[in-house]
Amino acid sequence: MFHRRRATMAAFLLPAIVVYGAFMLYPLARGVYLSMTDSLGGPMANFVGTEQYRSMADDPAVTSALWHTVLYAVVVVVVQNGLGLLFASMLFRRPKVRKTLSVVLLTPALISPVMAAFIWSYLFAPTGGINAVLDLVGLHSLNHVWLGDTSTALYSVAAVNIWMFTGYSCAIFLASYMSMPTELLEAAELDGARGWRRFASIEWPLLAPALTVNVTLSLIGSLKVFEFPLVLTNGGPAGATETLTLLVYRNVFGGGKFAYGVALSVVLLVTVVVLSSATSSLLRLRERRI
Amino acid sequence: MTSDTTATSTAPGGGLRRLTGGLGTVLLCLGTLLFVLPFLFTVVTSLRTAADVARSPLGFPDSLTLKNFSHAFSQIHYGRSTLNTLLITGLSCVIVTVIGSLAAYPLARITQHWSTAVYRLFILGTSVPVFVVVAPLYLLMRDLNLLDTYAGVVLIYTALNLPVAVFFYTSFIRTIPGDLEEAAALDGCGPFRTFFTIILPLLRPVTSTLLTFVCLQIWNDLLVPLVFLQDPDKRTVMVNAYSFIDPHTVQPTTLFPAALLGVLPLLVIFVFFQRQVVAGMSAGAVKS
Repeated sequence: MFHRRRATMAAFLLPAIVVYGAFMLYPLARGVYLSMTDSLGGPMANFVGTEQYRSMADDPAVTSALWHTVLYAVVVVVVQNGLGLLFASMLFRRPKVRKTLSVVLLTPALISPVMAAFIWSYLFAPTGGINAVLDLVGLHSLNHVWLGDTSTALYSVAAVNIWMFTGYSCAIFLASYMSMPTELLEAAELDGARGWRRFASIEWPLLAPALTVNVTLSLIGSLKVFEFPLVLTNGGPAGATETLTLLVYRNVFGGGKFAYGVALSVVLLVTVVVLSSATSSLLRLRERRI
Repeated sequence: MTSDTTATSTAPGGGLRRLTGGLGTVLLCLGTLLFVLPFLFTVVTSLRTAADVARSPLGFPDSLTLKNFSHAFSQIHYGRSTLNTLLITGLSCVIVTVIGSLAAYPLARITQHWSTAVYRLFILGTSVPVFVVVAPLYLLMRDLNLLDTYAGVVLIYTALNLPVAVFFYTSFIRTIPGDLEEAAALDGCGPFRTFFTIILPLLRPVTSTLLTFVCLQIWNDLLVPLVFLQDPDKRTVMVNAYSFIDPHTVQPTTLFPAALLGVLPLLVIFVFFQRQVVAGMSAGAVKS
């Protein structure tokens, strides 16, 4: 169709390349350059090489934000996919309720993170929903200032993330379940493989591609989390939920440390790309071995 | 509750398995209920009076009121901000679909080094967080005088969502056999006519999936409008909700109606296009 028709090819590709190049690739390249200057966002900027990056090493805010981001991601990836898998494997065995429940589970993922944070900020409040429920069932001793305590704040924020996207993980696992060859499952049934053995020896290996997708998606999503900590805790208490994205946002738009914020965003990019591509290639390697 | 497990009930010990199966179904329903409970709680609370909620947060409402909604409606300038969000979401969706599908056609049909390179460049964008480009984009928009304009925000959303669109359309077009197009070429049909008369109609299902995905992303986004739209008249629902309502000082009777209003248009869409939404949300899984 496109033999020797360079002009036509260009016409098809040009609009997308122009928009994508100008508003994605160019800012990306300019960001990397800006991170090596002392720019304040104005026209004046001097090239300072790796100075911004070197000063991060002495900045405790950076190391703690990096740690919070990674810890948050690990908690979300493990719990969200664990729950999603549990729901999917139970739903798969119950065709009557499968469709309805999986759609219901998916609804939290529809709403915006800001709205989810609104709902949960009241549920987590000292006199809010969760503590009231605990009182109701006689567990007043478990009452807690969920978002105001440095030891629980990050996990509470992660819980909101998990609440939103468990149905999403479940839907992906369930789709993988539905595409399993029925002959194989029936053969396993005849051989008497049931329960845990059937899951471990037959279903789990077949779920490998879905696991790769789920882990990679949730990892990328949770590493770039922004709205949840912004609305729920604004990074507090005492910086306990300060993530890399919040740090970038404050530095870039908070005034004074523009280039430093840009350099932090490059660190965020490297973190996301390195962790997600390492994880997904490890998981793909595992798929091939199974 | 009955067990829905497969033919196992005839096997020895089937009765017990039936029982555990039924128990599992009950647990499953309870677990799902736990996930929607915050929603139900939000809906009920937003219909109660503030005094009633303060008296017993979990109790049943004495009387129902819609006052909270009208209050939240004016507080976040709901009418105006919804129109803004609709405009931005709609325009971005149209542009992403059109230029994304156009670009995907040659990328799917040409198998040369440069086309794979261009394709890879687009896919690269799927793993770039908005945060990485937000600061340089701000400078760019300022230099182009596009700060505080719908056009600026629409262009940003287009660029951010093009990678997904190109990925979607390219992988879909690759599954379409080339016979039809060859026949069309023999009849003297150029690439443009072929695209619009043969390829485009086939893209309808993948487009609806893509659109629900892109719609959700844009409608729910906070960062881009927060940074690029300062003018109060141009703000989106999420920005207004975020800037006018502090969840830590505000009563749940203000907070919850605001949250529900922000979700409402999407819930309506969800009810009508349930299948596409489910497919669109699982969009990321298409790769497997």
